[in-house]
Amino acid sequence: MRLSHKYGRVGGWFLLVVFLTGCTVKAVGDPNRPITINAHITVDIKGLKDTASSIEDYVSGEKPKESLQK
Amino acid sequence: MNKNIFWVPLSLFLLMTIAGSELISAQMKYDIKEMTPEVEAALNNRRERFDQLRGFKSAGVVGENNRGYVELLKDDAEAKRLVDAENRDRKTVYKTIEQQNNLSNALETIETVFAQVQREKAQAGDKVQEENGQWVTK
Repeated sequence: MRLSHKYGRVGGWFLLVVFLTGCTVKAVGDPNRPITINAHITVDIKGLKDTASSIEDYVSGEKPKESLQK
Repeated sequence: MNKNIFWVPLSLFLLMTIAGSELISAQMKYDIKEMTPEVEAALNNRRERFDQLRGFKSAGVVGENNRGYVELLKDDAEAKRLVDAENRDRKTVYKTIEQQNNLSNALETIETVFAQVQREKAQAGDKVQEENGQWVTK
């Protein structure tokens, strides 16, 4: 009973630490030699398709200009 | 009681993870963030020539290729002039979406997605190029 209570507290603290530190990225290195990070960009096809559809609807006169900028 | 001590932080963690993924998906909406004079002109030009281009499409002179551009399928000087102008304006729109949404090196993907939308919006009788390169009449 007391053991599971202890595990629960440890688990809670662990998750809290993971959450708080998970959003921070630290880069350590020589300031004279900047680090280059090559990010892989994933394109959300569904989002892009919605945008394309809105633009084509504007071009064909089906939608007003305001629909282009959400 | 002891079970709560374990499940409450776990539930909070899962909730935050789900909320985070929702935030990411909300950011995945691309649009023309700034209506620059170039993109505005490109869109207006496209709008103005839409009906004329529609006529050439219906006549089978112009078709929608699988790279997001219009293509001349029969010799016609007027249609060629229109196709060239239309493709220039489309390129401006595609590049604007790429730049303003930080989609570096995604121009080909953007073109392909627009091609897909053009195929879906094509009217019966229009010539469209399928993904495999084959031209079909919709």
